[in-house]
Amino acid sequence: MTTKPKLRVGSHLLPGLAAVALFVVIAVAVLRASFGDPQGFPSDGSITASIGYAMFNLDMGAVPGEGFLVAFIVIAIALDAALDGSILLAKREEEGSAVALLADGGRQVHERLTDGTESDSDADDDGGDH
Amino acid sequence: MVGAFDYAPAIVLLPFLSFLVALAGGKYLPKGGAFGGIAATAGSLVLSAWVFLTVSAGNAYNETLYTWVAGAGEETTRLTFGLLLDPLAAMMLLIVSLVALLVHVFSLGYMNDEGETGLPRYYAGLGLFTASMLGFVVADNLLMAFMFFELVGLCSYLLIGFWFRDSGPPSAAKKAFLVTRFGDYFFLVGVVAVFATFGTAKFAGEGAFPVIAEEALAGSAAEVTTFGFAPETWFTILGLLILGGVIGKSAQFPLHTWLPDAMEGPTPVSALIHAATMVAAGVYLVARMYGFYALSPTALGIIALVGGFTALFAATMGVVKREIKQVLAYSTISQYGYMMLGLGAGGYVAASFHLLTHAFFKALLFLGAGAVIIAMHHDEDMWNMGGLKERMPVTYYTFLSGSLALAGIVPFAGFWSKDEVLYEALVHGLGGSPLLLAGYAMGLVAVFFTGFYTFRMVFLTFHGEPRTEVARDPHGVRWNVKGPLVVLGILAATIGFVNMVPVQDLTGIHLEFLHDWLAHGELSALTAEHYGELLHDYAHYTSADVASYVAGAVSLALALAGAGLAHVLYNVPEPTEHTAKLGAVKDLWYNNYYQDEYQIWIATSVVLPLSRLADKFDQGVVDGVVNGVSSVSLFAGSRIRRIQTGVVSNYAALLTLGLTALLVVFGVLGGWFV
Amino acid sequence: MVPVQWYLLLATAVFCIGLFGILTRKNALLFLMSVELMLNAANINLVAFSAYWGNITGQTFSLFTMALAAAEVAVGIGIILVLYRNFDDVDVTLAKGMRW
Repeated sequence: MTTKPKLRVGSHLLPGLAAVALFVVIAVAVLRASFGDPQGFPSDGSITASIGYAMFNLDMGAVPGEGFLVAFIVIAIALDAALDGSILLAKREEEGSAVALLADGGRQVHERLTDGTESDSDADDDGGDH
Repeated sequence: MVGAFDYAPAIVLLPFLSFLVALAGGKYLPKGGAFGGIAATAGSLVLSAWVFLTVSAGNAYNETLYTWVAGAGEETTRLTFGLLLDPLAAMMLLIVSLVALLVHVFSLGYMNDEGETGLPRYYAGLGLFTASMLGFVVADNLLMAFMFFELVGLCSYLLIGFWFRDSGPPSAAKKAFLVTRFGDYFFLVGVVAVFATFGTAKFAGEGAFPVIAEEALAGSAAEVTTFGFAPETWFTILGLLILGGVIGKSAQFPLHTWLPDAMEGPTPVSALIHAATMVAAGVYLVARMYGFYALSPTALGIIALVGGFTALFAATMGVVKREIKQVLAYSTISQYGYMMLGLGAGGYVAASFHLLTHAFFKALLFLGAGAVIIAMHHDEDMWNMGGLKERMPVTYYTFLSGSLALAGIVPFAGFWSKDEVLYEALVHGLGGSPLLLAGYAMGLVAVFFTGFYTFRMVFLTFHGEPRTEVARDPHGVRWNVKGPLVVLGILAATIGFVNMVPVQDLTGIHLEFLHDWLAHGELSALTAEHYGELLHDYAHYTSADVASYVAGAVSLALALAGAGLAHVLYNVPEPTEHTAKLGAVKDLWYNNYYQDEYQIWIATSVVLPLSRLADKFDQGVVDGVVNGVSSVSLFAGSRIRRIQTGVVSNYAALLTLGLTALLVVFGVLGGWFV
Repeated sequence: MVPVQWYLLLATAVFCIGLFGILTRKNALLFLMSVELMLNAANINLVAFSAYWGNITGQTFSLFTMALAAAEVAVGIGIILVLYRNFDDVDVTLAKGMRW
């Protein structure tokens, strides 16, 4: 059975007003600011090639830019570290040994949720007030 | 050309080095580090003698060696260390290093041979004590003098409380420390005030503060800040503030109470404290800045009266004491009273002379008493002694030499100097300053008491029949006790010959060498000659024409009368206590005029309630404000922390609102929306 | 050429839509998506100003931003998994133990 998405209106949208307010403020500021005419890129050179050169600090691009080799390396390492970190977080440990990720489509959890009330109360305990 | 003055800092540094050596390695050295101290003080003595010779050739030294606070700008106050070596300092250097050397040697007999423990601590204390006093003597400015003054006080605390396991010494040490510190508060305020007034605290040379003060009084230029007072009044106030420290250190009335208690310390330390270091520091300070005091007749009058009163006051208390060291303690207070009287009466040379002779004969008496105490197995009660004359002749004759000097019997040292002090008071008193006559009268009466208690002590200790078993068979003493005694005994008998004014007046032979020594010098502002002019111009002291031998004869007669009375009463085989005849006066004297009681009364009835009040203020108002602030913070915190809900959406909303608000503020201020 | 204001306005709109999502939703996965929107709003700005100045630095940097976004999502997913494991849900309002 499919259900049609439905816009749920209610008081939970109230914090969104802050985002709207921010939009209004920035939009007014942006629209009242004056910018000169954009310079644009030279029509003869390839922008993509220039980006490629800039990435490796090669000064051969047609469009002016800066070298980004260090940033490139740093980002590479950061991405690697993030992947490692996410694996570390996602890994489950039970009785000292790593267990494979839960990949049953949430069935096991669903059963727990529907069968017993124990896990519900667990959740309440963990997040409950003090 | 390297002269004595280049080595002068070593005079101070050598004993300091011995302090460090004894402190660090005394345990491993033979005799607990005594030899290091002896070598260091001997070195200081040699260098002092060299400096003395150089100074007598007409040189002087007044240099700043080290500036430890430079100040910013040109006209700022600079805090410095420096050396000032003039005739007075050279003389004092000799006294201090000689007495310190002899005390070190004597300590071998008094401490090492008696098997005391903690000797490295003892010798370290002696070394530091000597170093601080030497540093004080050569100080070229008031602040440096103050710092070493405090060091001297600290060392006396450490050494008086040397036997800290008994109950008496620690409390005596604390008392000495606190009472002198009470005086030093005034001194400290005085030092700051001198800096504030003159911008400098140098004793001598161009722009020294006594010179500026003199110029200010003469009305010539010189910028001084007198805080709204007339210069005369303000200089008197300054002088009296500094005098507070002097009265505490030199044990003058009413801050003398620490000194008799300080007898709890080892006897060589008492000798050092009384003869050359701690107590002498006060009088030396007045002599050092005499050019300043000479400008203020009021300060001089107060010095003279305090001195004269103390001389008499302490002498009467010494009459009834039972312990040999107690008698000596009161005699010290009394003798320093004479020096103050001399300084106050315009007798700069006389007071310096008495400082010189007293250093030797009082060191001698204390070391002699130390020898007796060794012999008596550390029993100090004179009523348990008697008849020691035959059993310890060296000690007896040297002690007798010191006693004759103390009592002021011709021709021993004390006679010449004490007589000159009294003579100065008399001539200036008759010459138009009648206040000094009161000081003279008190000093004169004190001469009688001095003669009496001195010979009472001698007769009870050495004459008559032995009154106890111990006195019958005393413990022997060795060369290291006898050696210093002999040296000092000879000095006590002869040192007075350097300045025999009465003999000069009588015979016309030139004999006043000390006068010549102090009267001239390269630093003309520090000479007795200059002080004489100042006294005449500003304090209006003029001399009446009285023959010095007449005054000398009067005081000699009184001293002999006192000694004679002692001879009648106590120089018998079986002396008895005659103190009961004094009636109520005996109780008064025996209890030191209830000085301790009244100071305790002040402490408990005046200071304690005040402190309670201050405590109430502290607990109530100060702490109340602090506690109020903290409870307001706690309350506010307990409310405001509610915005930390732990829900991430709320934080995001707050961030957004904050950013929006910030942008609005910037926008309005920066004109983005216009 | 299109004036740079309009790009900025677009970027603001995208950013605020992402922000709106974060403020009104409770689902952590939707949070991640909203954050992607916000990051891309920044990218729009970078590219717009790159064209404005005729300089490729902005464009190059937007590539890095994308890489960072990938890293952020990787970590974010990991966190969501932990969240799910602890609360049996991906509702961010359940995890509120870290408060006063």
